[in-house]
Amino acid sequence: MEELIKKLLQEKLARETQAKTRRHFIKNCAQGLGGLALSSIFVGCDPLGKPQQKSQVSFSERDLNPLATLAPPFGPNVKSVIYLHMAGAPSQLEMFDYKPALQKLSGQDCPQSLLEGKKFAFIKGTPKLLGPQAEFKQEGESGNWVSNFMPHFKKVVDDVAFLKAVHTDQFNHGPAQLFMHTGSARLGRPSIGAWATYGLGSENQNLPGFVVLTSGGNTPDAGKSVWGSGFLPSVYQGVQCRSEGDPVLYIEDPDGITRDLKKSTIDAINKINKAEYAKYADPEILARINQYEMAYRMQIAVPEVMNINSEPENIKQMYGVEPGKESFANNCLLARKLVEDGVRFVQLFDWGWDTHGNVREGSIDLGLRNKCREIDRPITALILDLKQRGLLDETLIVWGGEFGRTPMQENRGNTKMAYMGRDHHGDAFTMWMAGGGIKKGASHGKTDDIGFSGIEGRVSVHDVHATILHLLGFDHEQFTHEFQGRNFRLTDVEGEVIREILA
Amino acid sequence: MKKKIYKLVQFFVLAALMVCLSSCGSSSEKVDFSTQIKPILNNKCITCHGGVKKNGGFSVLFEEEAFADTKSGKPAIIRGDASGSELIRRLNEDDPELRMPYEKSKLSDQEIDLLTRWIDQGAEWGEHWAYSLPENVEVPAITQEASFASKGNSDFLKNNIDNFIYARLKNEGLQPNPSAEKNSIARRLALDITGLPSSQKLFQNFESGKLTYEELVDSLLTKPTYGEKWATWWLDLARYADSKGYEKDMGRSIWQYRDWVIKSFNKDLPYNQFTTEQLAGDLLPEPSVDQLIATAFHRNTMNNDEGGTDDEEYRVATVIDRLNTTFEVWQSTTIGCVQCHSHPYDPFKHEEYYNLMAFFNNSRDEDTPSESPVLKFYSPEQQKNVDKVLNWISKNGNAAQLTTYKNFLQFTEPVYKSHFFKEFKNSVYDDHASVVFWDDGNCVIENGYTNNASYVYLNYSSHYDNTKMIIRDGNAEGPILGQFTINKTKENTTSQFPIKRIDKKTNIYIETQNNAVAPEINILNAYWMGFIEDMPEKGKSGFRAVNAAFLGALNAKTETVPIMAENPQYMKRTTQVFDRGSFMIKTDTVAPTTPGSLNEWNTDWPQNRLGLSKWIVSKRNPLTARTLVNRVWHQIYGQGLVSTIEDIGSQSEPPSHPALLDWLALRFMNEHNWSMKALIKEIVMSGTYRQSSESTPEMYELDPENELYARGPRIRLSAEQIRDQALAVAGLLSSKMYGPGVMPPQPDGVWKTVYNSAQWIESKGEDRYRRGVYTYLKRTSPYPAFLTFDAGSREVCTIRRTITNTPLQALVTLNDPVYLEASYQLAKNTFQAANVDERIASAYKKATLSEIEPATLSALKELYENSLNEFNQNTKAAGLFLRFEDKPTPELAAMTVVSNAIMNLDEFLTKA
Repeated sequence: MEELIKKLLQEKLARETQAKTRRHFIKNCAQGLGGLALSSIFVGCDPLGKPQQKSQVSFSERDLNPLATLAPPFGPNVKSVIYLHMAGAPSQLEMFDYKPALQKLSGQDCPQSLLEGKKFAFIKGTPKLLGPQAEFKQEGESGNWVSNFMPHFKKVVDDVAFLKAVHTDQFNHGPAQLFMHTGSARLGRPSIGAWATYGLGSENQNLPGFVVLTSGGNTPDAGKSVWGSGFLPSVYQGVQCRSEGDPVLYIEDPDGITRDLKKSTIDAINKINKAEYAKYADPEILARINQYEMAYRMQIAVPEVMNINSEPENIKQMYGVEPGKESFANNCLLARKLVEDGVRFVQLFDWGWDTHGNVREGSIDLGLRNKCREIDRPITALILDLKQRGLLDETLIVWGGEFGRTPMQENRGNTKMAYMGRDHHGDAFTMWMAGGGIKKGASHGKTDDIGFSGIEGRVSVHDVHATILHLLGFDHEQFTHEFQGRNFRLTDVEGEVIREILA
Repeated sequence: MKKKIYKLVQFFVLAALMVCLSSCGSSSEKVDFSTQIKPILNNKCITCHGGVKKNGGFSVLFEEEAFADTKSGKPAIIRGDASGSELIRRLNEDDPELRMPYEKSKLSDQEIDLLTRWIDQGAEWGEHWAYSLPENVEVPAITQEASFASKGNSDFLKNNIDNFIYARLKNEGLQPNPSAEKNSIARRLALDITGLPSSQKLFQNFESGKLTYEELVDSLLTKPTYGEKWATWWLDLARYADSKGYEKDMGRSIWQYRDWVIKSFNKDLPYNQFTTEQLAGDLLPEPSVDQLIATAFHRNTMNNDEGGTDDEEYRVATVIDRLNTTFEVWQSTTIGCVQCHSHPYDPFKHEEYYNLMAFFNNSRDEDTPSESPVLKFYSPEQQKNVDKVLNWISKNGNAAQLTTYKNFLQFTEPVYKSHFFKEFKNSVYDDHASVVFWDDGNCVIENGYTNNASYVYLNYSSHYDNTKMIIRDGNAEGPILGQFTINKTKENTTSQFPIKRIDKKTNIYIETQNNAVAPEINILNAYWMGFIEDMPEKGKSGFRAVNAAFLGALNAKTETVPIMAENPQYMKRTTQVFDRGSFMIKTDTVAPTTPGSLNEWNTDWPQNRLGLSKWIVSKRNPLTARTLVNRVWHQIYGQGLVSTIEDIGSQSEPPSHPALLDWLALRFMNEHNWSMKALIKEIVMSGTYRQSSESTPEMYELDPENELYARGPRIRLSAEQIRDQALAVAGLLSSKMYGPGVMPPQPDGVWKTVYNSAQWIESKGEDRYRRGVYTYLKRTSPYPAFLTFDAGSREVCTIRRTITNTPLQALVTLNDPVYLEASYQLAKNTFQAANVDERIASAYKKATLSEIEPATLSALKELYENSLNEFNQNTKAAGLFLRFEDKPTPELAAMTVVSNAIMNLDEFLTKA
């Protein structure tokens, strides 16, 4: 069967090449005639954003396999991305953005000048400032601040580059998460992972190119759209791999069906489909033959990569995994295994970071400390593990939430809050990146004395996206897709690469 | 994933010919703006001199801009004088700082020559073809040649569509395919019209000649399954779903709208009426319940219940979505660009966006969790109360009063919801759901109007007895309008309290007192407050009973569906232009009008959604009929006559058959009187449609997209069709229609939404086997197998489902229990046949309507034998595999494996 597929593919490639040459000729000819070169048709639908390269892209490979690997136009710094999203928005003021002055002002009314013209999700009236609820130390050679909520993280603090003054214009979870992952607070745009797999394909054809892992008991507030493909073909959307039940929906054979029998089934299907191709000559049939072979291989590869039991004990301990459960630690270990196996984009969502102070789990002093404990060891392990395998240089790790939290204690609609809490805050929050192409130990951007606004090195969500695409080898302004008469980009009409954190 | 290469080839060849004709011919030949000049302007100039940027004060988007004075104080184009025109001078400039296009390569000599001659000839501005519709189109005359008949396709010419298609084929030197075999065409036709495979009986009647092809078409068009199939397409456009979207994504009861769409297709509601009822059914005179349900089209917008969100922000987002969707659905136009700036390519101006938005800005809905206004469906018992009230008013009151009460009973508007309440003291705005009052609490409804009414209607739930509520005019010191006692309620209640009549807008001040309750304790939640004009003849005998009936009806628990309702005069919103699209920065106030570049507004039309809908379905609108015809064609052939089905405008692809598009559009309006069934029938009756879809690699290379139509269509089935078909051939498919969304089996743990305890509760009985159109669609987590086959989540209008081909799809049809159960049933139903060969052939025929080829049979037989062998060796396996069966035999298990293979064949998954 393998042979047959290969032969069919070769035949098709040969035909395509022929056709391409002719197209190329006609295109040049038309341009030569002038006035008629509809170059705009070539720009835009090209993942590489380079019109003159369009004819170089192999249509046929992508026709048969939409996840076929493509080289980025500018040579990549990294092959894969692991994006760690803390859904609910972690408090930068208890983790990385140390504000001693806020401690001194704790309990005082927030100055009116800061509140004027601002909208908050829940805060009403005049809230009081709330000092940091964690203790901070400068760590590593970089001397970057890390709180005692993250005791392990100091081991890798010199590997990461902090962005201390990220800002977003969204202050509700759903829209802010969409904005953070699709560049738009409204639905319908492709996620970063979808763009990446659209542009680069996948290195491993037996696994999905874009994998999503969730923990914390819920999917993100914005739902599956945060890993959706928007107007890109649905093949580029994230595939959720689960810790319970089938790791990928319908990946397991039905009870009573052996692998051999599945192989016989697929062989029979493909044999008949081949005859179908002889009759209709529709390349979609060849693609389907290919996809069935891939499905068969994926059924082996996915459960294999999703099984963390086979990892050595010391690695399991390093991450603090709990096999058989859904946990952030398990997901970090899985993320390493996935990028090791050539998955392009691994997206982790950990839910439960919304610390308003209305309930114990949602408090700055208690709940947040627990959430930090859940991520501290695994994240540290992930960075160290990738490093020891020589993979950190070709992997980009991004950490952050959808916004930050207010320097004020939340006072929800005149009621007293049961616990310490902070409201949503988009003016200034911390994110960090680590890995390939990132300046180790850097810290870019600064907030004012109470951490309300960025005063130096402010970067937007679009800037973060531009930087991720840059590291993957794209110019974010040229990486476009035409939809409904317009060229769309991840960064919309904004975004600048944050050069300060590049190696 | 296919590319539009052939189209380009065609275009370049044509274009090359055109250039040759124009430059090789006499230089005085008239230059055509639309085909020769506009493309140059659009591709080379408009990015810097168009809707977004007007560098140097020069724009070529609109005629008046192109000839206006630029920053230099002079116009850049002087009609009749190319050499005196700055435009031409700049194109020929040697200094790269001055030459245009700036920092791009110089225009070609031919381009400059065209522009020069155009200006010298008077620079006549023309309209893009998309923005005007011809009055009539001639059908090309075709003379059949000898070769035509000799190829066995003499019966290609079936109706006028074929003349258009053949004219182009002949130009290309191509011949159409022969007609498809009866089994192929019967399957194709049934899938296209009803979305399901043909029943065996219908097919036998057609095969035996009892039914002609036309009779088969007619018979399929009258089946109720026709409405279900075409509704699935429309529901993508309407962004229909069973949940509200956004963070909490709570359920929404709007399935009556889905049923309305199915029924409307089945009764072939003319498209113009279908349009008007959806856009403005509520504004029709005496709207029927169905016409109100139709307006749920625009209530399919998302509703944000997330804590801390601003109702006004999301109300505006909804209005924007309605406008954008209206233009995407009816005009093939992405008007969304114009929200922030004038359209970069199409002739729509920034302000025109807000003129259009004004049509949608005065509906009552306000992004509240209740989704009010919702149409109530009273039970016959409850309806008695409603009738009592309406009869009283008919007898004693006037028409306006009747409308007021009818509306209030039907959808409980207009009322003041929680976000109207301001200045809280000892009271709390409880996050867009309600207002919470404490002891000594107060707040105001700013600039409210009591309608000169004698009663206030309050919807609330009270947690204590003896709360005194006082309503004042203006503020805490204002005159008391009413004071009354509120007692504990078991549930959400609507009560009527007397107030003093005042006929003016004022701040309505509300206070609560209950000193038996400790401070800062929630005494009551107020959801809304309403003031409607008094009922007539309050003194007359019998009034008390009528009033009681009214309150009974207001408190009746009913099924509901969200609908559109317009603001009364005193609640009207003004619409302002948003500076660069931001709803926070509002500038000029605008009135509802339509874009100047499209058809004219008829002053008889009301300046509201009803008028807008009439403008859309006016026969003078150049885009409405073309859009519909193009998309119906796309449903059938897998591509549109304009391949960019999303966009018919300056940036769209040129139509493959321009005259056919216009001919069909005109015929649809003028001869078919907007009948969609007639349009579909015309298309499927054509010889073009009835061709075989067989092809060769050479033919594919020549025309990969089949835009010349030298063969029949061949497209993978949609997500819903794939499942429906599997259930149908297995004999499992339920024919039950309508009702709330159903939940067929899906894997555990797929639904995990924050702050939402809703569960996927597997449907029982025949509801497990309903058609896909009835499957519950939760936006943040749609039915996974449909997602895998490219169905969307319907958060926004979906015009095209991009068809993909992925390994995850194979896993669904191989491993999803739905397909295993269908395979098992298909297998089981073959056991009357005597031997294995016959069983396989029978399963294959049931699935595909085709007789099995020997090679196919042998491949499947081999699979059968392998399977049988395995199931014989491992005696437990058959039982594990066939958990639906009491007596699982190795033979049945093996036959099930074979049936499943059949359901995975490309032939089965594809319409050909």
